[in-house]
Amino acid sequence: MRILVIEDDAATADYIAKGLGEEGHVVDLARTGKDGLFLALNESFDVIVTDRMLPGPDGLAILRALRASGIATPVLVLTALGEVDRRVEGLEAGADDYLAKPFAFAELRARVRALARRPAGPAEATELVVGDLRLDLLRRAVTRAGRAVELLPTEFRLLEYMMRHPGQVLTRTMLLEKVWDFSFDPTTNVIDVHVSRLRRKLEAAGEAPMIRTVRGAGYILAPPG
Amino acid sequence: MRWLRSFAPRVALLVGGVVLVASVGGAGWGWLRAQDALRRQLDLVLATDAEGLLRDYETYGLRGLAEAATIYARRQGPLRVLLLAPDGRPIAGRLPGAPARLRGFVTLEGEEGRQRLLGALLPDGTNLLVGASLVPVDRAAAALAWTPPVAAAIAATLALVLGFLAARRLEARLAGISGAAQAVMAGDLTQRLPQSGAGDEFDRLAVTINAMLARIETLVAELRQVTDDIAHDLRSPLSRLRQRLEAALAAPRDAAADSATLEAAIAELDETLATFAALMRIARAEAGAGRESFAALDLSALVADTCEIYAGVAEEAGRVLETRIAPGLFLVGSPALLRQALANLLDNALNHAEGRITVALEAGPVLSVSDEGPGIPEAERDKVLRRFYRLDRSRNAPGTGLGLAMVAAIARLHGGRIGLEGAGGGTRFIIRFAAAGVNTPEKVR
Repeated sequence: MRILVIEDDAATADYIAKGLGEEGHVVDLARTGKDGLFLALNESFDVIVTDRMLPGPDGLAILRALRASGIATPVLVLTALGEVDRRVEGLEAGADDYLAKPFAFAELRARVRALARRPAGPAEATELVVGDLRLDLLRRAVTRAGRAVELLPTEFRLLEYMMRHPGQVLTRTMLLEKVWDFSFDPTTNVIDVHVSRLRRKLEAAGEAPMIRTVRGAGYILAPPG
Repeated sequence: MRWLRSFAPRVALLVGGVVLVASVGGAGWGWLRAQDALRRQLDLVLATDAEGLLRDYETYGLRGLAEAATIYARRQGPLRVLLLAPDGRPIAGRLPGAPARLRGFVTLEGEEGRQRLLGALLPDGTNLLVGASLVPVDRAAAALAWTPPVAAAIAATLALVLGFLAARRLEARLAGISGAAQAVMAGDLTQRLPQSGAGDEFDRLAVTINAMLARIETLVAELRQVTDDIAHDLRSPLSRLRQRLEAALAAPRDAAADSATLEAAIAELDETLATFAALMRIARAEAGAGRESFAALDLSALVADTCEIYAGVAEEAGRVLETRIAPGLFLVGSPALLRQALANLLDNALNHAEGRITVALEAGPVLSVSDEGPGIPEAERDKVLRRFYRLDRSRNAPGTGLGLAMVAAIARLHGGRIGLEGAGGGTRFIIRFAAAGVNTPEKVR
């Protein structure tokens, strides 16, 4: 993948570029908003990662310029610590995701992958299928190899999100934000509880596990084997 | 003349001076007007009398007129009459200094002061003169004209005296306020402005300023508390981290041990950063940040959703989460922050209390979360809402000690208040949202 990183802090920029480079991505680095906007408008990228506060046009200005030019490249905006209330502002400006600094690299990696592999037309799909697992969005029903799986609404939303991103690492923070709109970290293990309950229901008839735990990162939903 | 620099006597002096100057200026003009008006009146009297005398002449002839003139002279009234023969010889009456052959009105300077004369020539050449002294007229005009300036002078004097007294009183009141303000500036934030108890504008000002001082005192105390808490709560993990890294550096290199040390260090830093982030979120909420993105939202649905998510968590922990949610309650606010407030209260009940958890949402809207735990002593109920305050029994439970402070900040941001009460041994947290923030569903697009 070709990724554009717009970040004025040299240490953070190098940290992101090095990490993404080791993942096998091609990373272009812009140190100012002006350079970033120029690159974003004139070259083609799979994902753009931009800091919110930048010299020259800031992250949101770049975002608005891109969207105004009809460029739909997924954009991840990085923001300063504790400014969660700004998240809405960023998403309204056209950001696809929002991440507060400082972050664990695993978190950034998972989010960049999720952005790059966004399903083409998720809204139109009426059924999600991963292996022998089927989720009917209209009837709100789930079956595993033909066996009906009874899910609570909370679990259904969790499974739907995971099935839209099969084979990808989904961090706890991502699940909290995307599934339940929790923009904070509860001190109780909300995510682990729901994932393990979901897991039990999906494997109730002794089927092979589909949700894998990735240590220190999150969870992956993938066909067994 | 220190009191002259005060406000009230300056105003009194100014008003008195203006009144005095205006009335002295007006006195001259008033004197002329009064004199003129009185002279006209005198002229009318003279003309009427002359008319009567002429009627006597027409009826009784010159002899009758002469008799009338003699009667006038004998009576010695204010009106004088003189009859002069065509050769200038007096026939009857008396009018000292009268000129001969006078026709019409004239004012003359006589030996008894100014006088007004009216002369008429009779057909036989006899000259009839009627006159009266102008001295009483002048005296009355002067009296009329000088009344306002004298009154003004008295008023100006009184104004100055009252101004002086008001200045002394003002100065005394302001000295009290100024003294208290100086004490506050010197660092004594507990000082309050004195009130006279009269309920006047000074008292009202003092009440307002005292409320401001109370708010400043609370804020400064909170700030001091937070600074102390940050120093304490962030120094300990950072010191621990430093010791651990130093010990690891001194030990011989060992890949497995080094990885473990680094992982532990990152975990410790993440916790510290989480504390920082929580502190900043509280600070932003308290500063009112995020209010601009407030929108009308279905609080009932939000509470129900969040409780549903937590029901599973409670169940896994062997607890029960009960809900009593009135439907269709709307609020103008931030969904993300309100969800966090409820989640923090539920986290708190799960981590630090026991038994059944009851979430209730009633009209108001009033949101409450009750538990059946050991309860919080009354003396500590306010303190648990402070940053970093933890009950002794909770020291080792998970959390940053900031969750409830965040809830309080979110409640305040939404114009609400959070309160705590005992609930059958347990604790009930109650958030009362301001009715002003409530919107009926009809108003929600």
